[in-house]
Amino acid sequence: MAGREAIKRAVQQVRPILSVDREEARKRALNLYKAWYRQIPYIVMDYDIPMSVEQCRAKLREEFVKQRHVTDIRVIDMLVIKGQMELKESVEIWKQKGHIMRYWKESQDPKPTDFLSKFIQGV
Amino acid sequence: MIRAPLVKALGALGSPTHQIASRAVRTSAIVAQTPAKAPDTIEVFVDDIPVQVLPGTTVLQAAAQIGVEIPRFCYHERLAVAGNCRMCLVEVEKSPKPVAACAMPVMKGWRIKTNSEMTRKAREGVMEFLLMNHPLDCPICDQGGECDLQDQAMAFGSDRSRFTDINYTGKRAVEDKDIGPLVKTIMTRCIHCTRCIRFASEIAGVDDLGTTGRGNDMQIGTYVEKLFLTELSGNVIDLCPVGALTNKPYSFVARPWEIRKVSSIDVLDAVGSNIVISTRTNEVLRILPRENEDVNEEWLADKSRFACDGLKRQRLVAPMVRMPNGELQAVEWESALIAVAKALQKANGQIAGVAGQLADVEAMVALKDLINRLEGETLVTEQDFIKGSGTDVRANYLLNSNIAGLEEADAVLLVGTNPRYEAPLVNTRLRKAYVHNELQIASIGPKIDLSYSHDNLGSDASLIKDVCSGSHAFSKVLEGAKKPAIIIGADILERSDGAAIHATIAEYCEKLKKPDWNPFNVLQNNAAQVGAYDVGYQPGLQRINQAQPKVLVLLNADAGKLTREQLPKDCFVVYIGSHGDNGASIADAVLPGAAYTEKQATYVNTEGRAQQTLPGVSPPGMAREDWKILRALSEVTGTPLGYDTLDELRTRLEDIAPHLTRLGKLEKASFNELSPKTATSKSISGGAIDVKQKELREYFMTDAISRASPTMAKCISAVNKQQRQDEAKQSVAI
Amino acid sequence: MSGLSHIMRQRPFALQMSASKVANVLVARWASSQDIAPMDLKSILARPEEVEQRNKLSGKITVPKAVNLSPISGVPSDHIRERRVRIHIPPKNAMQSGTDNLQTWQIEFDNRERWENPLMGWTSTGDPLSNMNVQFGSKDEAITYCERNGWRWYVDSEQTKKERVKNYGVNFSWNKRTRVSTK
Repeated sequence: MAGREAIKRAVQQVRPILSVDREEARKRALNLYKAWYRQIPYIVMDYDIPMSVEQCRAKLREEFVKQRHVTDIRVIDMLVIKGQMELKESVEIWKQKGHIMRYWKESQDPKPTDFLSKFIQGV
Repeated sequence: MIRAPLVKALGALGSPTHQIASRAVRTSAIVAQTPAKAPDTIEVFVDDIPVQVLPGTTVLQAAAQIGVEIPRFCYHERLAVAGNCRMCLVEVEKSPKPVAACAMPVMKGWRIKTNSEMTRKAREGVMEFLLMNHPLDCPICDQGGECDLQDQAMAFGSDRSRFTDINYTGKRAVEDKDIGPLVKTIMTRCIHCTRCIRFASEIAGVDDLGTTGRGNDMQIGTYVEKLFLTELSGNVIDLCPVGALTNKPYSFVARPWEIRKVSSIDVLDAVGSNIVISTRTNEVLRILPRENEDVNEEWLADKSRFACDGLKRQRLVAPMVRMPNGELQAVEWESALIAVAKALQKANGQIAGVAGQLADVEAMVALKDLINRLEGETLVTEQDFIKGSGTDVRANYLLNSNIAGLEEADAVLLVGTNPRYEAPLVNTRLRKAYVHNELQIASIGPKIDLSYSHDNLGSDASLIKDVCSGSHAFSKVLEGAKKPAIIIGADILERSDGAAIHATIAEYCEKLKKPDWNPFNVLQNNAAQVGAYDVGYQPGLQRINQAQPKVLVLLNADAGKLTREQLPKDCFVVYIGSHGDNGASIADAVLPGAAYTEKQATYVNTEGRAQQTLPGVSPPGMAREDWKILRALSEVTGTPLGYDTLDELRTRLEDIAPHLTRLGKLEKASFNELSPKTATSKSISGGAIDVKQKELREYFMTDAISRASPTMAKCISAVNKQQRQDEAKQSVAI
Repeated sequence: MSGLSHIMRQRPFALQMSASKVANVLVARWASSQDIAPMDLKSILARPEEVEQRNKLSGKITVPKAVNLSPISGVPSDHIRERRVRIHIPPKNAMQSGTDNLQTWQIEFDNRERWENPLMGWTSTGDPLSNMNVQFGSKDEAITYCERNGWRWYVDSEQTKKERVKNYGVNFSWNKRTRVSTK
């Protein structure tokens, strides 16, 4: 297992996807964030969803913060690409109302987190 | 014209190669006996690839070394070579005829061609002969999809048939035989590979099967109508390369491509056989053995294989609490947990736990932690052991020579045990040593049929003293042996003089032991036993009687040794387990647990090897994994245990006994551990030694799962019927 | 007239043509007349930071060797946190003698509940991962794959093969117990 530990710490040389350093990747992520931020009022209006602009922006922030721990530049780039695709689909109204509302997972029952309720529900 | 090949053949007989070959055969026989000396290897060529093999290796084995698999029907790794199916014919350069690869030892410089024109033609011919008399009933055959004949006909057979004589003589048809409730026979499908015959006579030691007639009239059967009664009969189903012998309870149930296979461990005896559970739609359909050289080789005992239908019957599917009117009533988990937790809190530390036959290590640790947190101390196993501190030393309760090691033993003494039914796969090892290693076996106990001949020294307990003092004739045999072993049945250590028997034999084994060989063995018969001792459970129910607990937790304790009368009147009994059996019937609260096919759990086998089961299906109804029930209970009582997931619980296991998490590895007891000093008194009181399972009918139902199994019930009635018939015949003869 | 119209017709085209293209054409002509290799105008006209960026993109970057793909693999997060992967060599089917599919390492997810479809009787499951059957050439490849996807894994130990001596002759030995009793 010592060998595997060494791998965890080792670095490798790879071809970049979009960004060549962390700073650039950060810039791209921020750009994406800003683009979403600006588009949210229009998305709310176009889709006529029962959510306010503030709620949407809170959700936007939540989705970005969820990936805060990612450090690999290539993974950040891929996430940015995926985010851009998502944005495009939303802005162009390629989605439907339900697709947007799915971000809030209102129709899903929250899964139990503590042992006892997990035990009683049998999950 | 004719003379030319004859001359060639005669020349070959006298040729130097032939002499080398015969020498090679002779050396191989010597090699088999003394493996210590490294013999020279010889070089042969398989499809022009050079292979270095030991002299005496067969062509088939040499090809297998480089991954070339020669098709075969009759050859089986673990059985004697028969060489009668001819499917393994291959071409050898300069040999006028193809040779049978399974039986022919290689000779130096041979060039074997496994894919030449001649080889292919030979296979095609054999295949054509086999299929000529084989029915075309694959669509209704249970072997379909996992049939060697099907596969090999596809790969090596001809693309058309020359069998046109369908109107005149037709295909050969053979009457089906009734050989018992486990194995279904469709004898028309038989291709006479004789694997079943060889298994019965070599491995099972029952010469019931054989062939009658010859040529086209040859039949496999028992000659007189008779059941194939042995505790290993299910293995002939696996061995049969066609659908002639199939699984009777599984017949027409599923096809192999629609089932999921989960690798797991069997818990119905203490061997810990490796198994594959076949499941579909959350249902266990059948159990097959999984290869493990160190434990079960490739075999599986009938109880382990066929008792799986007991997993669907008599199951506890909802928690139950005994109402004031004395009846158990199904309730929700919340109310059941609260009822039990209240009782636990009121008990004020007067709590005891009993681990039964099928309890897994995780649940036992959780129970121990829970009871200790509630300031209880009494934790025992249902099975008793010697009095005193016998379980402190691991070597005292393990099969120290280990299962694979017994194969090398050359003198064995069985004391109060019937390995044939207590651990059938340990018995096959002993039989293997008996056949191949000239093992000498003696037993102290009742006269029993062990499937090999042995000396019954008598059943009196004082014989143990005679043997161990060196005055008995068999002592000479043991002392002269290279690898002697004494196997004690776990049941006789329950006797009041069990400690004395244990100490006497342990002391004698101290004398017998060799470097790297520990002759002292205890053969456990419960899968939970070694694990329970390893995590610190005490043996015996007397401690329960002494402790007079207010709450008693039964963890899979179903042996029926504990009755309501032995307990205080106000004792609250909680049962955690999978089946409604003896334990649940005396309980005030029943918490449904998972059976071994439904949980990931660790079991330690009789030689001390920790192995884990994997869940094939999910527990029925509201049943939960046992350790989770205890963990939930601890939270309701307000003393939550420190683990929420299996991984965390395994970390706790590692703290208690690190070997329990080294799954699959054998953890031997350290060599000098065995100490006879544990004995308190050394007087063996005498009296006859008995074993519980003397006959086959006593083998089938020994635990909650097999008691619930209808197939096992059928087996017992079949054995009884057979016995009645035999008796009737005898009385007629008289 | 014809000459003029020709120019008039050409003009919009020339206007549409970007400056760089014109320059490219010019340079190419100049280069061919000078008999030297044509230069890439993109790199000539690019700003220095653009050039640097382009060079960097065609080069390599340094990232940690342990890659975690779970944020972009699309696997639901609770299937990443709670699943454990068993890495093993599939066991031989006891019913058959073939060994061809037993050479590779496989990953297998813990088994989750499946049920019978009440309409058609098919097997249904709510678990997207347990039907995934991926084969690997070696144990380490499988481990790396699991670690990249963020799954917890454990390796089931390999079974050791035992060499045994096979001998047809022992069936007929007159002084050994290996002599066959039934035929």
